[in-house]
Amino acid sequence: MTGAAAKPPVLQLDGIVCGYDGLDVLKGISLTVHAGEFVTVVGPNGHGKSTLLKTISGLVPLRGGQISIDGRRLSGKPHETAMLGVAHVPQGDMLFAQMSVLENLLMGGYLAPDKAEIARRLDEVYALLPKLADRRNQIASSLSGGERRMVGIGRGLMMGGRILLIDEPSLGLAPLIIDQVYGVISQLSKAGRTILLVDENPARVEDLADRLHLLDDGAIVWSGKPAELMARDELLATYLGG
Amino acid sequence: MTDVLMAILVAGFTSGALYALATVGLSLVWGSMGMLNMAHAAMLTLGGYVAFTVITSLGLPVAIGFAGAIVAGALAGAILYFAIVRNLLQNDKSTFEANVMIATVGIGIALENAILLTYGGQPLKQPVSIAGALRLGPLTLPWQNLLIIAVVVVMMVVVSAALGRTRMGRAIRATAQNRDAAQLMGVAVNRVYLQVLMLSGALAGICGVMVSSMTQLSPPLGNDPMLKAFIMCVVAGLGNLPGAIAAALGLALLESFVQYALGARWGFPSLLFVVIAVLIWRPSGLFGHAEIRRM
Repeated sequence: MTGAAAKPPVLQLDGIVCGYDGLDVLKGISLTVHAGEFVTVVGPNGHGKSTLLKTISGLVPLRGGQISIDGRRLSGKPHETAMLGVAHVPQGDMLFAQMSVLENLLMGGYLAPDKAEIARRLDEVYALLPKLADRRNQIASSLSGGERRMVGIGRGLMMGGRILLIDEPSLGLAPLIIDQVYGVISQLSKAGRTILLVDENPARVEDLADRLHLLDDGAIVWSGKPAELMARDELLATYLGG
Repeated sequence: MTDVLMAILVAGFTSGALYALATVGLSLVWGSMGMLNMAHAAMLTLGGYVAFTVITSLGLPVAIGFAGAIVAGALAGAILYFAIVRNLLQNDKSTFEANVMIATVGIGIALENAILLTYGGQPLKQPVSIAGALRLGPLTLPWQNLLIIAVVVVMMVVVSAALGRTRMGRAIRATAQNRDAAQLMGVAVNRVYLQVLMLSGALAGICGVMVSSMTQLSPPLGNDPMLKAFIMCVVAGLGNLPGAIAAALGLALLESFVQYALGARWGFPSLLFVVIAVLIWRPSGLFGHAEIRRM
């Protein structure tokens, strides 16, 4: 990405704190994502990556700090966050299991202004993920793990949002399918989509992400280019087990 | 023998249609909100009395009576949402199911007593009735039963179309299947809950008119259909709408056959026997899916 950092940020987090019950999981995270940028947050399991995305989309309430989209402070209500253009592709897909692939995609277009716009987005999704067109009438619960992940991504694209939040797209998938999923994400990035992705493995985003943040125990402990992290064996060993 | 069999089938389908209407309302609320609405019986009774008032006291046409019952039921659903459900949803989610069940028991009792105070305890005749019967050779099909079946079929088609083909219906089904994911898509789930309670209330209202047209109006009118609807919901699997309709028709036919073969007093026990057997054999219901909760 060239010159993205010069543009005003699409997403801005300022010292966000959040958690569950009495425990703070995120302890003052600040980061920005600019238009067209691909930013990744990596870290070990259980250190707050999914919580970070859930907090941005409003599923986990904010305890401190603030989150803004295009300079507008978020209310913390998930449906209002979606209206401002945050499209969240959650971990484990969270599909509507008893709905068809098409109905899942149409739910992604729930906030679309009219039917023509929904049809346009649907064509775009089918062009990127042609298998979904073949499977359009199949019930989501009967899909394979890889197909479910594609529906999750397709549903996120149907939202037509300003920023796509993608939570561990490789989780539970076979290596071949992971390559396919990341291939789609790479195409989205090249097409200029703004993406914030969290994953456990920095190697998967080494050639894709513009910037990478290393998350440990709810705090960002390192930021830079993915290739720089891959060259820092001591960081990989300390935070990601080598 | 054919006459008897047809009489049993007509009675069974009529009861089944009424139970289906009551069951769908209950099941819709359970399926999308995880809420067992114990005030459903009183909302059903309210619909019957509102239609009676509109037609008898105000002298308006029967169609307006139906509309009045639908509006009254929907309004009761909206009031239930704003007065009770919305506040309980703001509390700890884990206590919602128990709290809302207890709260709606109270609302149901209060509404039933308000009706008792307003109209008195004496049974009243619901003016929505058609005398006579359609005769097809040896078959005799009472117009009243045919009216009930027709109204219920129309309501089921309307509800199915609303849930299956509209944006609102998709949002309701999405919320029922995955509340968090629905919110991420931009669905305002609280608005969905309000819509579900209003739709369920409207169904209860029209069901009250139909039930009272077969019996009589009295304050506890809704209790028997509500109890049977609950049994049918459990047999089908809570929250499963097509299953609920199938269970309502199947169990109503069973009840009619048992009442004919063994006597009226064995009708309800036969339903209880079925629900106990289903709970032992298939605890999640005939059409339900087992729920796995990770601790």
